[in-house]
Amino acid sequence: MEDRGRLSIIAELIRDHISLDGLDQFLCQTGVEKNDFVVIQPSDFSGEIFAIDGSNAAICSYLTANVNLIRAGYAVYRKRDWQRTVITFDDLFLADPKLSGTNFDPYLEHFFGLNAINLKESDLDRLSSYYREMQEYVAINDALNRSHPGDIILYDGSFEVFEPLRDVLATIFSRASEKEVALLAVAKSSSLSWGMAITLPFVQHTSMAASQLLPGEAWYLSLKGKKVDAGQGKWGGQTYVVRFCGESEHAFRVDVPEYLGDDMGQILGKLTDHSCSAECLGYPHALFRAHRDIRITEQEGAAARERLIAGLSELGMAHKEIRMLMQDYHDILEMRTRF
Amino acid sequence: MQTIETQAQPDNATSLLKPKVIEGKDTTYRIVSRNVSEYQFIVPFNLPDEERVEVGQIFSINDQGLTYLARVLNIEHSSNYDGHWDTTMKGTQFFDSDQIFNRVVAEPLGCINKNLEFKKSRTLPTKFSPVSRAEREEFKFLSQVMGDIEVGYLRNGSRLVEEIPVALHSDAIDHHMGVFATTGMGKSNFMKVFAASCMRLAAQGDSKFGLLIVDPHGEYLKGKRNSQVKGLVHLTRYREGLACYSTDRSNATDPGVEELTISESEIFPEDIALLYEWSAPQRDALDAISRIFDPNSWLDEIKTPDGMARMMQEGFKDSTVNVLVRRIKNELGRNSYIKKRSSLANILANLQKGKVVLVDIPRMSDRSELFLLSVISRYILDEYKKDEKEGEESRKNCLITIEEAQRVLGAASNTSRFESIAREGRKFGVGLCAITQQPKLIEKQLLSQFNTLVVMGLGDRNDRQQLEESAKQDLTSMDTEIQTLEKGEAVVSTLNIPFPVPARIHRYEDYLHRLNLEDPPERLIKKGGFKPFLE
Ligand SMILES: Nc1ncnc2c1ncn2[C@@H]1O[C@H](COP(=O)(O)OP(=O)(O)O)[C@@H](O)[C@H]1O
Ligand SMILES: [Mg+2]
Repeated sequence: MEDRGRLSIIAELIRDHISLDGLDQFLCQTGVEKNDFVVIQPSDFSGEIFAIDGSNAAICSYLTANVNLIRAGYAVYRKRDWQRTVITFDDLFLADPKLSGTNFDPYLEHFFGLNAINLKESDLDRLSSYYREMQEYVAINDALNRSHPGDIILYDGSFEVFEPLRDVLATIFSRASEKEVALLAVAKSSSLSWGMAITLPFVQHTSMAASQLLPGEAWYLSLKGKKVDAGQGKWGGQTYVVRFCGESEHAFRVDVPEYLGDDMGQILGKLTDHSCSAECLGYPHALFRAHRDIRITEQEGAAARERLIAGLSELGMAHKEIRMLMQDYHDILEMRTRF
Repeated sequence: MQTIETQAQPDNATSLLKPKVIEGKDTTYRIVSRNVSEYQFIVPFNLPDEERVEVGQIFSINDQGLTYLARVLNIEHSSNYDGHWDTTMKGTQFFDSDQIFNRVVAEPLGCINKNLEFKKSRTLPTKFSPVSRAEREEFKFLSQVMGDIEVGYLRNGSRLVEEIPVALHSDAIDHHMGVFATTGMGKSNFMKVFAASCMRLAAQGDSKFGLLIVDPHGEYLKGKRNSQVKGLVHLTRYREGLACYSTDRSNATDPGVEELTISESEIFPEDIALLYEWSAPQRDALDAISRIFDPNSWLDEIKTPDGMARMMQEGFKDSTVNVLVRRIKNELGRNSYIKKRSSLANILANLQKGKVVLVDIPRMSDRSELFLLSVISRYILDEYKKDEKEGEESRKNCLITIEEAQRVLGAASNTSRFESIAREGRKFGVGLCAITQQPKLIEKQLLSQFNTLVVMGLGDRNDRQQLEESAKQDLTSMDTEIQTLEKGEAVVSTLNIPFPVPARIHRYEDYLHRLNLEDPPERLIKKGGFKPFLE
C-alpha cells in the first residue's frame, strides 16, 4: 500500500488546491475585485436557443489507424420548451494521417471556403478530436443558417482551439456577427488557474468567492486584465466566468467572440430562466439536452463495432484475422473481449 | 477496408450535410419492451383523468395482421433520464416533459388472427408497434368463447364493455366452482344473479344442471324486507325454473313455496355427529350405531330402553349412551321439519330436471344448517350414484352450493361428507359451489379441483395467495387487481375462456328488471303455461 507520509502530503496539497482560506489572497493575487462581478438581470426571451455538441467513440484501432464513431448536432429550445434536435453528422471516421486530406478538405472547402490544412503530423487521437470539432463547427454553421437575429447559439466547450481550426472559427464568428446571433462557448471543465507556488483552480475559486460576496445572485466576471493563467488566448474573443443562475453553486468558463463584448449582460439575462432546470440546475438546459441526444452510448459503440466486423467478414476476412489486426493488447491485459 | 474509406470520403458536396431532424412526434403508446411474457409500453405522464391508464385495463397491439391483447399489471414512473434526477426539482418546474412518461407493464393475454381466432401467443409484437385501448371490436372474439350463464359484463379497468356479457359455461359447472370475496363485496348478489340465469335456462328447457342453494340467512327467497334487495321469487318471468322449500311457516304458506321436511329415516349417525362436539368414547358410540341398528329405524330404536341396553351390551358406558340419546331427542324435538314425510325426493326430482332449488332455512343455527345440508347432500349424492349404476340418462347434473364453505372444506374440518362430494361427486354428476370469504382456510388440493373461480375483492394477502397457488389458470399476475377490486367487480377464471376475465357482476335487482322484461320464450306459450309446483 501507499506510503502514509506521501498520502498525507498529497491530501494536504489537495486541500490547499480546493479550499479557499480567506478571500483576500485570492482577490489580491488575481486582481479580482468585488465590483468586477456584474449581477445578471433576468429578462424575457422568446427567441430560439441552439446548443451544439458532439460525441466521439472509438470503435477499433489497428495501431496505425483508428476507426471512430462521430456524431455532431444541436438541440433547439424556445424558452423552456424543446423544439427539435438536429443531427448533422453521424458516421464512422477512419483516422489515418495520410487520409486526412480526403477526410477534412471537402468540409473545410464547402462550408468555410478554406484550403487544405496540414494534419500529417498529428497523432491518431488528436485527428479524431479535430474531426469531431470540425463536425461541431459544421453544426454551428447549420444552426447559424437556421437562426434569426437575436437568437443565441451555445457551444459545448471552449473557443480556445487547436491552431489548424482557428480559421474555421474566425469564419463562423464573422457570420454570426453579420447575422446578429449571439455565440457563446460554455465549458464544463476549465484549466484556468491562478497562484504562484501551486496551480489553483480559478473557476471554482471565483465561484466560491462570489458565493460569499454576492450570495444567491447570478453574475459574470470578465477575465480582461486579471492575473489568470489562461491558454494562448489568440482565438479572437473574451473569456468570462459566469454563474447562470443564482440558486446554483456552479460557475462556468464562457468564451465569446469580440463582437459581443458590450452585450454580455443582456445576453446572459436571456439565459437565466433557461438555466434552472431540474435536470441541471445552473447550466443552460439546451446544452444538457444536446449532450443527452447526441452522446454515443456504449451500446451504440458496440453495435457499430459489430456491424463493422460483419462488413469485414462479408469481404472475406476470417474472424481470426480481424482479431489479430484489431484487438487492442490492452484488452488482453484487461481480460476484455470485444471481438 | 475500401468500403470504409469511401464511406468516410464524401464524393460530392451535397452529400456532406444530411441533417436528421428529430421533432416531438408521438413516441408514446408504442411497445418498447420486453419479452414474450411481458410487454411494456409508454404513455404520457400527465394524461387527463378520463384517459388515465389503470391496472387491469386491456390494451390491444396492432402488428400487421395480428392483434395482441395485453392486460395492465402495473404502471411506473419512468423517464429517458435514468437515476433519481427528479428529486432535485428545487421548485423551478422546468424539465423536459417529452422525456418523462409512464411505463406500463402488461401481461400478454393472447393474440387474435385475421379469422378472429384467439390463441395464446408464442411470440411478441414488433418493437414500436402501436398500442391502443382495446375496444368492442377486439373483444368480439370473447363473445364466441362465452358460455350460457350470464353473470355480468366485461370490464376494462373500471369501464364497462356492455356489448360483451361475461357468461359461465354450463358444461364446466359439474366440475366444482368457487366464489370468493370478503364480506360485503358481493357474494350473495353474485349467487342470485347466477341462480337467475340458471332459472332462465331451466324455464327455457336449456338447463344442463340443477342448482341447490341452502340459505341460512333467508336472503335469497324474497330478498331483504323493507329494502330494495330482491329475492329469487321476484324473477316472475322465469319463476318456473325455481323450486322453493322453507322451514319458515310464513314463507312456506306462500304459493309456490313448499314446507321443507325430512324424515327420520334419512338421518344418519354421521349427520348427528355434526351437531355437537363429542368426546372420544361418544364418537365411538356414534360410529357403532350403524353396526348395531337397522339404518332405517335407528333413531326410533336407540331411544327405547331396549335400544339403550343393546348399546351398553356393546361395551359403551351408560353415561355415554345417555348423553347420546338425550342429544338426539333434543334435536328431534327442536327441529319441527323432521317428520314422517320428506321433501327430499321432490327436491331431487327438481334438481334432476335442471331447476334451481332453494332451501330457505332462516334463523337456523350454524350447526343445524350443517346438519341439514349434510342430510340433503348425502341423499343427493347417493341417489346420483344409484342413477349412475342404473344408467339414468335423462337426469341433469347438479351443483350443491355451500355458504361459508371454509366450515366444511377446511383443512381442519372433520366433515368428510362434503369432501367426499368434492373428491368423487364429479364422477356421478354432483358438483360443489363453495362460497367463502376465507379461501385460505380451504384445503389446497381441493381448491385445485375447482374449474371455475369467481374472485371478487379479497383484502387478505393470504387468501389471495392460497387461490393463486392452486388455481388452474394463472392468477398470480392479477394479485394487484384482485386486491383493488371494488364491490361487484370480479375476475372470472374458467376453463373454457382462455384467460381470467375481468367482469362487473350485474346488480341482481337490475338484472332482474331486465330479465322480467324479456319476451316470454315461445315454447312455453305453446304449452299453454307452466305450473311447476303443482306437478
Ligand atoms: N354487482 C354489484 N353491483 C352493485 N351492487 C352490488 C353488487 N354486488 C353487491 N352489491 C351490493 O353490495 C352489498 C353487499 O353485497 P352482498 O352480495 O350481500 O355481499 P356478501 O354476500 O359478499 O357479503 C349489497 O348491498 C349489494 O347491493
Ligand atoms: Mg352474503
